[in-house]
Amino acid sequence: MKFTTPVIGIVALAVAVLTACSSASSNSSGSTTGAASGSTLTIADVAPFSGPDAALGPTYLASCYGATTAINNAGGVLGHKLTCKSVDTRGDPADAVPAVNQMFASTPNLALVIGCTSDEAASVAPVINAHKMAMFCMTGQSEFDAVKFPYFYRLVPPDLEESYAMVAIAQELHYNKIALAFGNDIGSQTFIQPAIAAIKKAGMTMTTNQTLDLNATTFRTEAEAIIQSHPDAIMTEALGSADPTLFSEIKQLNGGKMIPIIGTSAAISPAFFKSAAAAVGASTFTSDFHADNLVVESNGPAYQAFSSALLSQQGKVPGATGDFTTYLSAPGGVHLYDGINLAALAMIMANSTSPSVYGPDIVKIGNGVSGATVCYSFAACAASLKAGKAIRYEGPGGPTNFDAYHDSTGIFQVDTYSDNGAVNVVGNLTADQLRALSS
Amino acid sequence: MTIFLASVGFGLVTASVLAVAAVGFTLQFGVTDVLNLAYGAVMIAGAYLAYVLNQAGLNIWVGLVIAVAACSAGSVLLNSGIYTPFQRRGASPITMVIVSLGMTLIIEFGTQAIAGGTSVSYTMAQGPSVRAGGLVLTTVQLIVIGLSVLVMLGTHVLLRYTRLGKAMRATAANKTLARNCGIRAYRVITLTWAITGALCGLAGVIFAMDAGSFDATSTDLFLILILAATFLGGPGQAYGAMLGAVVIGLATEISAAYITPSYKYVVAFVALLLMLGIRPTGLLGARA
Repeated sequence: MKFTTPVIGIVALAVAVLTACSSASSNSSGSTTGAASGSTLTIADVAPFSGPDAALGPTYLASCYGATTAINNAGGVLGHKLTCKSVDTRGDPADAVPAVNQMFASTPNLALVIGCTSDEAASVAPVINAHKMAMFCMTGQSEFDAVKFPYFYRLVPPDLEESYAMVAIAQELHYNKIALAFGNDIGSQTFIQPAIAAIKKAGMTMTTNQTLDLNATTFRTEAEAIIQSHPDAIMTEALGSADPTLFSEIKQLNGGKMIPIIGTSAAISPAFFKSAAAAVGASTFTSDFHADNLVVESNGPAYQAFSSALLSQQGKVPGATGDFTTYLSAPGGVHLYDGINLAALAMIMANSTSPSVYGPDIVKIGNGVSGATVCYSFAACAASLKAGKAIRYEGPGGPTNFDAYHDSTGIFQVDTYSDNGAVNVVGNLTADQLRALSS
Repeated sequence: MTIFLASVGFGLVTASVLAVAAVGFTLQFGVTDVLNLAYGAVMIAGAYLAYVLNQAGLNIWVGLVIAVAACSAGSVLLNSGIYTPFQRRGASPITMVIVSLGMTLIIEFGTQAIAGGTSVSYTMAQGPSVRAGGLVLTTVQLIVIGLSVLVMLGTHVLLRYTRLGKAMRATAANKTLARNCGIRAYRVITLTWAITGALCGLAGVIFAMDAGSFDATSTDLFLILILAATFLGGPGQAYGAMLGAVVIGLATEISAAYITPSYKYVVAFVALLLMLGIRPTGLLGARA
């Protein structure tokens, strides 16, 4: 009323900034070309620590804390100790690029980047690559399937394979009518088209396809549309408060009953379980929830080393919430732990902390060479390297097989939750099952 | 028809939460001259306070009352500690907007730093659902609608029949003239911050109840809806904000029922732009 049009314009701009903008709350640094003797090397976790996908950053940080502690306890790398730092991308490319630039500008002795989820990988991977910094990314985006970034490494499969895995779960559970409800973020949207194609190929029916605005506060209309389409199950990935809100509203509008849910591997995280269980009740949530997940080991020497390293960090990881043991099954937790070990061992093998020097040895240690000794932990592998042996590292994520684009993908398992948040492996999906669903 | 009735019900719930927030926001703006963009951040801080109390074993309705009181006190402090000193130094309205934007980030990210980045939910039963035709509302949603109606009635009584309300209207219309008429404008402004802060706290908690799950940034988009309802009704107009909230609430939910939900906010804001094109002062702005 006492404000003029320009003021209202500024208000609009300010609000736009408020909603779209974010915190580039990172810190970090220039590429390392051989750190000073005895200095501490930094591993940067470039991932969302705030915003809808805020659960991802702490998951990766947990693996970083676990891996670096185990490495440091085993004597470190070439006389260097390792440390972890958080670089918050807010899950938004517009925030991620300045955050990464700031990281390079301010982090001395940066030795490795982990994280770079589908939310921001497309924008930050070229930047990180241009700085000649090795990165282990948690993105399934297909655009990385055949693009040569020399410093890019990936231990997770393309998103389309995960879409096939979700449909394969639906097949195993004899669901025929499927509703889709995916978030409007880049990472979630990439699942939709492959899922639609796979549903068709499997002879199932897609009853509705709802896009969930991750900034929205209710999804009642979307929930009602899903209920009225009478699906046997809902395939979904909408992180942050979106999925828990959707579940709560579906339960509310469906006479107190949930519709079976099939989630992605991102749903296997303590934060997701905590939010979903709080929204609808743990027993309701777990009664008909399944998620695909990359096969990870649950016993054996690699798992023992991983479990011991990770659980030693319980209560020490900023932002970690919920049942810490869930991180033992979280895809990011397992595969980035492996990525850090691979990089650290490659540094020892190459006798350099410079990614341009140690990078090729990541592939050699992951894939192994003829006659290589298989080892399952950083300490054992480092000892073998120092003894002059060729090694092949096999971590809790299983054997690695990097291709020419540094992609190494595993096979899928089916996970459920217990009411206390513990993750149960209830089945495996074969490569043939997924192949049958591919276009 | 069923989906239409359902979406009308959903729209009424959204409108109820929005109305409480928008009435507080527009009264604050009208009387104090501060377009307080930190309103949404204070809402979510109140919602988190109720969450903390709820997790400590307190009934959520008790938590709501405490959050209302805390947000009321917090808003008074926000004004006296931050906004008033800037205004005394002659800060322009634009400067005040930027200051409030800064406060938004401080409160929001401060809350996030303390509470964490993940979403949380209140421990509370939604109660049995009431069904009428396609309309489905839970007991909690009915309570939210009831609270909103009470707030609207209370606001009407305050503005029309109390000395304070009349003083608020006079101060909103012309602060200097109000002072010359013997109204203690500073006191009225402080009380306005207290009342609108209470409404802000109430809006925050019922917003969180309605959403089911929320995080520190959940009100970012909601703030835009508050602004839309405020400007649709006519800035500074409490009754206009009520009307604006109903229009925005129904427009978003009904449009989502018939076209893809991705466009529900697009539809609402196209309607807002069209309306402002026809009546730039808002639905009730001309009567101010």
